[in-house]
Amino acid sequence: MTIAVTAPRKIKMSVIGPIVALVVLIIMGALMNPNFLSAGNISNVLSRSAFIGIIAVGMTFVITAGGLDLSVGSMAAFIAGLMILVMNTALPVMGIGIPIVLLGMAVALAAGLFAGMLNGVLITRLGMDAFIVTLGSMGIYRSLVTWLADGGTLSLDFSLRTFYQPVYYGGILGVSWPIIVFALVVIGGELLMRSTPFGRHCAAIGSNDQVARYSSVRVARVRMLTYVMLGILVGIATIMYVPRLGSASSATGLLWELEAIAAVIVGGTALKGGFGRVWGTVIGVLILTLIGNILNLTDLVSPYLNGAIQGAIIILAVVLQRGRKPGQ
Amino acid sequence: MGHAVTTPVLALSKVSKSFGPIEVLHGADIALHPGRVHALIGENGAGKSTMMKILTGYQPPSAGQVMLQGQPVSFADMGQAEAQGISLIHQEFNLADHLTVAENIFLGSELRRGWFLDKPAMRARSRDLLGRLRCDVDPDRLISDLSNSDKQMVEIAKALLRDTNVLIMDEPTAVLTRTETAVLLDQVRALRDHGTAVLFTSHKLDEVVAIADDLTIMRDGSVVWSGPANEMDEHQMAEAMVGREISTLYPPKDSTKGALALEVEGFHVPGFAEDIHFTLRKGEVLGIAGLIGSGRTETFEGLAGLRDAHGTVRINGNPVTIRHPWEALALGLAYLTEDRKTRGLLLTKGLRENLTLQSLHKFSNWMIDAKAEEAALNHAIAEFDIRGSRDVDVGSLSGGNQQKLLFAKTMLSDPDILVIDEPTRGIDIGTKQQMYEFIRKLASEGRAIVVISSEMQEVIGLADRVLVMRQGRIAGELTGDSATEDAIVRLAMGLGQTTILEGTI
Amino acid sequence: MKRLISALAISTALVTPALAQDTQVIGVSIPAATHGWAGGMNYFAQSAIDRLEETYPQLDFVLATAADPSRQVNDIEDMLATRNISALVVLPFESEPLTGPVQAVADAGVWVTVVDRGLSVEGIEDLYVAGDNPGFGRVSGEYMASQMPDGGDIVVLRGIPTTIDNERVAGFEEAIEGSGINVLGMEHGNWNRDTSFEVMQDFLSRHPQIDAVWASDDDMAIGVLAAIEAAGRDDVQFVLGGAGMKEMVQRVMDGDEMIPANVTYPPSMIATAIEVTALGVVSQTPVSGEFIIGSVLVTQDNAEEFYYPDSPF
Repeated sequence: MTIAVTAPRKIKMSVIGPIVALVVLIIMGALMNPNFLSAGNISNVLSRSAFIGIIAVGMTFVITAGGLDLSVGSMAAFIAGLMILVMNTALPVMGIGIPIVLLGMAVALAAGLFAGMLNGVLITRLGMDAFIVTLGSMGIYRSLVTWLADGGTLSLDFSLRTFYQPVYYGGILGVSWPIIVFALVVIGGELLMRSTPFGRHCAAIGSNDQVARYSSVRVARVRMLTYVMLGILVGIATIMYVPRLGSASSATGLLWELEAIAAVIVGGTALKGGFGRVWGTVIGVLILTLIGNILNLTDLVSPYLNGAIQGAIIILAVVLQRGRKPGQ
Repeated sequence: MGHAVTTPVLALSKVSKSFGPIEVLHGADIALHPGRVHALIGENGAGKSTMMKILTGYQPPSAGQVMLQGQPVSFADMGQAEAQGISLIHQEFNLADHLTVAENIFLGSELRRGWFLDKPAMRARSRDLLGRLRCDVDPDRLISDLSNSDKQMVEIAKALLRDTNVLIMDEPTAVLTRTETAVLLDQVRALRDHGTAVLFTSHKLDEVVAIADDLTIMRDGSVVWSGPANEMDEHQMAEAMVGREISTLYPPKDSTKGALALEVEGFHVPGFAEDIHFTLRKGEVLGIAGLIGSGRTETFEGLAGLRDAHGTVRINGNPVTIRHPWEALALGLAYLTEDRKTRGLLLTKGLRENLTLQSLHKFSNWMIDAKAEEAALNHAIAEFDIRGSRDVDVGSLSGGNQQKLLFAKTMLSDPDILVIDEPTRGIDIGTKQQMYEFIRKLASEGRAIVVISSEMQEVIGLADRVLVMRQGRIAGELTGDSATEDAIVRLAMGLGQTTILEGTI
Repeated sequence: MKRLISALAISTALVTPALAQDTQVIGVSIPAATHGWAGGMNYFAQSAIDRLEETYPQLDFVLATAADPSRQVNDIEDMLATRNISALVVLPFESEPLTGPVQAVADAGVWVTVVDRGLSVEGIEDLYVAGDNPGFGRVSGEYMASQMPDGGDIVVLRGIPTTIDNERVAGFEEAIEGSGINVLGMEHGNWNRDTSFEVMQDFLSRHPQIDAVWASDDDMAIGVLAAIEAAGRDDVQFVLGGAGMKEMVQRVMDGDEMIPANVTYPPSMIATAIEVTALGVVSQTPVSGEFIIGSVLVTQDNAEEFYYPDSPF
């Protein structure tokens, strides 16, 4: 029983699987189109990854703690619509300037916090199933934004949009703001997951919530916080999203929830909870974005098959992670 | 010695089993004869489970032969072994919680009438099988509503249905009360008289003495003794298992008691316990006995904020209200669960994460100090003698080591009042002895300790004072020499003829 | 369209008093407002109904919007079963799945008006009101060819892969054939601003010189314009959208060089269909047949005619 043979340190497939998939994609992209590795394209890819990426970091915590949130896509659309509406309404009073942009940002963060808290309360305090609660709120936010936009599109006042635009297109030293914010969220998320009691508690709850409860972990509070955090991150993503096109409609954020969940799982987080890693999620997001990018940059396959390629790569990336199961 | 001439129905011959570079079973032999009960005993990790898995086709041997009716066979999977009449009853029940008793018994071999299920016939047959086990559970009840002992009976009924000629049971009595155990043993005798070969493992040596015809003792992956059971007494068995002399199992009781640590009055746990009242002093070990289902666990879960409960509770003389487990912990009260696999430990996580889960705040300011955690793990491994690799998932530790880790985890939060539910369930005698020493040592440090146990010997040997629970109430209190098995059974069964002083509260 | 509206006015005057007995129900089943054009279509349907209910007190309307074809089938079945409709105006989500259910409605003796997307079986509907998809593509292509007499390199953004999209692209390709215009690439922007933004970014990375873009839809044109602006590229001379979104028509009116023109595909065709159907129900006016609303090129000269400030689209 005391035989403690330490096996030689093997390379774990679960760790390098997603990285291998990402590297293969990058090599493929570079071989197929010389512009693939241009600064412009890299910047485009990273910026457009930022929305899903920021949300997916929050989703990593929710899933790790054994939850799920299907409402993030429509939540983003609703927050974007609300933000545009509030900013347009405040425009005659406040005029164009930093205060009105800050007001918009505050509205987005508050709405995200509130929406996340609503999901969290229904799930943790009323003991409802996360899938059903967020499926419900998904429908609610999606119709609310359609209603706010009267079936059409809400557009930010043109001059206001021009003023606000640098938040998406501008940046520091050629690195755009969405990339910077995404990086900060990732670093914060990774630290939170890896080295704080909160991250450890999320993994414990997802792994077995009874054990967590018997170990005096405040299960309901931790779960609640994961949804609130995700809501705030959706707010942050929306702050980056609105200046890009300055509009929100019922088509905004469509299927973002599934992309975010796919990114989290491709990155190696367990769908049933108990184990999560934020850096993996980043790789997952990049893989998903790069597939679309590469397909646009090449004529390799019929565009009708884009979805199939995406699906195949998601499955492949997950298969790569599975080591051989010991002992069968 | 009639069995020597009959051909064993199922046997292992020089069987070894390796996982990677580690050999866990070294050329072991065992032979099961029809109409005989064979006991397999040994410490946790001695290789009993591996041997049973090979016997039932769950795992193939790395070397050696499995012999069926004297012929070498190799089972590709459990189904093939089952088809040959070999049934294994796991320690963890293999029942579908949301199906009824009858549905479980017939799962996979449902009776049909034409295209449809023949429910009345299955119900009648189930009632009949359970009747043979002297178990009067309604076949229409859901498994999730049954007690552990009834679940065990359903498992056996399932095996009976399948014309089993070899029945292998992994610790069938671990979760049973004494009465339930007696029923089970009777049933095993009946099966034996029917010609079934029975193999079972147990840590309860008195059962082995009571029922086994043949005995195999294992230690560290080898068979160390094999022969007719009546050649060994309990003490000899224990020594053969442990490989050294076992003096006294229970440490001496220390009689220095301090101030009142815990006072409970009029405490109710709706649906489980009413009007519970007792006191506990620092340095005292209070034993809680009673049948399974008497509300022992629920009472203390209620006290620890794990269940809805109300009543007067004072800690160190101050009235407190505990609604959540963390509130209990903040007041210095910790509850160590009886169910280490589903409530105590995260089986898919490592030792370190498990050890510090309950007291993570001690290892973090904002960030967790991984070095301090490692140091704590080193300390726990040394102090509680946790063996095995420290880099594995907790689920792959043996039961005894899991229990020690759970103990270490609870102690890391440094509780003043510690409730330990079933401290030695499913662990071997050597580890038991260690656990008893830990518990005594904690008491002598001035902590107040409650030990809940189904093993009466344990309660008597360990506790300074024993409370017996019956049907959600405290049936009586026993101290000193009055705490005998007989007195506990009488109180637990409601035969209150003994003249005990009701608690001194 | 004018001719129809005047016909409507006349018949209203003639017929109203004659039919005051029984309330008749007209069912309207359309896709939900999931993108700009559909949003406009919803708006026009609702306003037509409001107007008609006032004009004809004996008419009752049931409007149902569906998020997918199967829900649209449910809506139609419910209308037939529980509302006892006399006429159905349907804009099928997809042709195939709706053909059977609409056939069943027609077989029950209900008047059927099909809008925009034809059914898979001919002859079911009593009235067919539609835009001209191949014409939409052709007008766009002809405009492109006229603007680039010496040819040039363009990229094309397509909609959601459907018959509509295929017909438009086919019409477009036919019109630019032999004009010297070279299509560098075609990708699906799914009539979605965000997707088109990303697709256009990638087109810009891939092709160093793009002379013009056929965005084929105004929502997609908005995404395309944002991507060009962000990339700071000045090689793209203009972007041609389509469908007549009011913001885009406004820019045509204002003489925006990037948006010199638009091609209509009016979401108000649903209103036309409802009005004509109502007319058919309340009167004996023969209204059956086909009614194709052509796609018109909108330039600065005629933009004002196509600007509807109250519409959400």
